[in-house]
Amino acid sequence: MSWQPEIDEIERRRAIARQMGEPERVARHHADGKLTIRERIDGLIDPDSFHEIGSISGSVEYDEAGERVRYTPSQFIFGRARIDGRPVVVGGNDFTIGPRGQDPGGSEKSAYLERMAGQLGLPLVRLIDGVGGNVRTIERLGRTYIPNNPGFNTLLENLNRAPVVALGLGIVAGYNVVKLATSHYSMMVRERSFMFMAGPPVVARLGQTVTKEELGGADLQARAGNVDDVVDSEEEAFERTRRFLSYLPASVDELPPRAACDDPVTRREDWLISAIPRDRRKVYDARKVAKAHFDKDSFFEIGRQFGGSLITAFARLDGWPVAVMVSNPHIYGGGWTADTSEKAMRFVDLANLFHLPLVNLVDVPGFVIGVEAEKAGTIRAGCRAMAAVSQAQGPACTIILRKCFGVAGGAHADHAKLQYRYAWPSGDWGSMPMEGGIEAAYRADIAAAADPAARLKEIEDNLNQLRSPLRTAEHFMIEEIIDPRATREVLCEFANFAAKLRKTGPMSVGIRP
Amino acid sequence: MAQQVVRSELAANVWKVEVAVGDKVEVDDTLMIFESMKMEIPVAAPCAGVVAAIDVEEGQSVAEGQIVAILER
Repeated sequence: MSWQPEIDEIERRRAIARQMGEPERVARHHADGKLTIRERIDGLIDPDSFHEIGSISGSVEYDEAGERVRYTPSQFIFGRARIDGRPVVVGGNDFTIGPRGQDPGGSEKSAYLERMAGQLGLPLVRLIDGVGGNVRTIERLGRTYIPNNPGFNTLLENLNRAPVVALGLGIVAGYNVVKLATSHYSMMVRERSFMFMAGPPVVARLGQTVTKEELGGADLQARAGNVDDVVDSEEEAFERTRRFLSYLPASVDELPPRAACDDPVTRREDWLISAIPRDRRKVYDARKVAKAHFDKDSFFEIGRQFGGSLITAFARLDGWPVAVMVSNPHIYGGGWTADTSEKAMRFVDLANLFHLPLVNLVDVPGFVIGVEAEKAGTIRAGCRAMAAVSQAQGPACTIILRKCFGVAGGAHADHAKLQYRYAWPSGDWGSMPMEGGIEAAYRADIAAAADPAARLKEIEDNLNQLRSPLRTAEHFMIEEIIDPRATREVLCEFANFAAKLRKTGPMSVGIRP
Repeated sequence: MAQQVVRSELAANVWKVEVAVGDKVEVDDTLMIFESMKMEIPVAAPCAGVVAAIDVEEGQSVAEGQIVAILER
């Protein structure tokens, strides 16, 4: 007598589990424009690479003879898989199955997923589509409880251990908002996913009558910085997840993998010599200017809708993955707001954690100033960003494209370290920009002149000669001024040096001010 | 005809308005120019269409996220 009957029963239960919820619920889920949890996993990972764990867990009713009469699969599905041939762990809840109360192993499965990612040191992808608890839980439990934020310590450990991507694919509410936000990279699907601490019926009690979109739509949450990016479809979210992970090591104990590169290191783009307008009041397309230096099609922007005066991206140089910061003059002239500072802090920490060398393309006129900027907490946020830059252990290279003014300009690097730095001939720097400051500084001088306008012009012309970056270079206060067309070459040289300086291991930073 | 709202991506002063209601615009055409941090910041048309409304005047300040124009596609 073999164990075949048990194996057959396991296979039958697996077959039922693969059907997920009742057919009407699956149909309604599809009609809402959403994929099922199993379609999501298949859409994300390499074909046939899913190794499910807890595949027959669920809720079973037996008759008096011990025969199964009803089997409701678990509402949490997870396992190991591969993305681009590299191991990952992936899991998420099944919105087509009833409430968690009827799933005895569901909570433990989602906790196991988190522990597995951390203890195996593997990238984790959370597929989130579910609401948190409601007050009916009290009736079911027959008691209430003190909130203990289950497993938050594990989420936090994972955040310091291996890449975590979280996708909000439906309604993300209750504790699930923590799982979406406590990640290195999060996305929501436009018009399909919603994220809020408390939903429309609850906030209606505050007198706020709003739709799900108005309360927690994808674009709203990305602009608020609660998630990193918005996509138009789940497939796009899976594609971007694969791409994000391709730049990163499996965990802090490994180094980011080099990719093949057929883009010549010596490639020069002629238009770069005139990319920066000579008129200092004019802006330029920072994304176009930045992309020109990196391996073809390797520029992967992250967090476009938040802190827009700074563009953050992963990219490659001669195949080596790097983290890139680029000033965007179209937003506040590239000036840093509180949001920009927070974005910079998180991004520099991310680069530091996963041993990505940092490339900083700088055009910063300073912190954005004024009453609103003071009220927004720009100073505290700015200090936190500067702390992140100073605490980052990995190699960094700065290219000053144009402006570098004030404290925010000074935040382009840790000045206690060797400055691996270049400037373009458009470089323009100092403690504060000259425009508008001349009349104040030379008021008496100008007023005493026979022709004040001519005197102002004379002062301006003189100061404009002094602000030439060549004069700074004479004093070796900028290491080297380069032809913008040579930028790719010097950055690739940097990436090859930096590759050997990268060190594995966890990040050790102090607290932020 | 679908309406496309144009919002300001930053707090700024409106320096110049370059189009009028009824003008036809192409994608990326400059609708107006803001001034912020001593820079001229163009506001580009997010799509081709006809200018249905201009909600700002030269010299006024705008807040981040404020609607500054409406296009009809």
